[in-house]
Amino acid sequence: MSVDPCHGAESMLQPYLDRVLTESDVARIDGHLRECSYCNDRYVFERSLRSVVKECCCDEPVPAGFVERLRRRCSDQA
Amino acid sequence: MTDTLAEMAPSDPTPGVVAASEVRDRARFEEEALTHAEQLYRIAVRLTGGRQVAEDLVQDTYLRAFRAWRSYRPGTNLAAWLATIMRNANLDELRRQSRRPVQEPLDDDGDYYLYNRLAQASPQPQDEVLARLSGTAIVSALADLPPNFREVVVLVDVGDFTYADAAGILGIPIGTVMSRLYRGRRLLKRALADRAGSEEAV
Repeated sequence: MSVDPCHGAESMLQPYLDRVLTESDVARIDGHLRECSYCNDRYVFERSLRSVVKECCCDEPVPAGFVERLRRRCSDQA
Repeated sequence: MTDTLAEMAPSDPTPGVVAASEVRDRARFEEEALTHAEQLYRIAVRLTGGRQVAEDLVQDTYLRAFRAWRSYRPGTNLAAWLATIMRNANLDELRRQSRRPVQEPLDDDGDYYLYNRLAQASPQPQDEVLARLSGTAIVSALADLPPNFREVVVLVDVGDFTYADAAGILGIPIGTVMSRLYRGRRLLKRALADRAGSEEAV
């Protein structure tokens, strides 16, 4: 059986980013990321990846007049 | 049968006898709901993969929402309430087209998969690695996720809904949201790694 030198940090990273870990787990990961550049590089990458994915989806332009068309359609039906 | 009288009463008030306060409440509801239209449109584009389809879906969502506005409880999360309606409308549409959502794809790559793949190709600082992923690569990778996984990733990572909101919107337990999110993100990274590889080859 191989020993994980990072004590399961990889599997904690997503919940860490989602802010759903307990305080003591957060403290443990904080401490590990300070000491381990291998995990820290990947943590920084994961964090940026999320914001890149989010930005590129939120850049989606809303078509001109979209809300107005919606309002009209809805009041036609009322 | 006299005990069914209440059930037989029309659910919509007769036109012409609607109280003025009800008209005001409804108008206020509609205005508030419309402030979420752009957010819903962006989610719809990612859920459906098409702009016209997305616009139709949001329109259908608002028509349904305005019909059901009395079942919205003021003070609760209106965006999540609307997203729930949109999700159901989208499912109805998929059923009409009888495209069955794909179930469980296999994946067994670690969480560091994308980073490791990209870093292997050329050891660069992370930001440059990310910059090599174009917007279109990300959008198409997301579009190619199986629908079950895509909707969770879109709601949480794009729409900023909490696990609990997403569970309510999708009508699934929180544990299922978490496991789909976990696998959906991994699948997304694998798809991005494939695209980063092929973009480089061009």
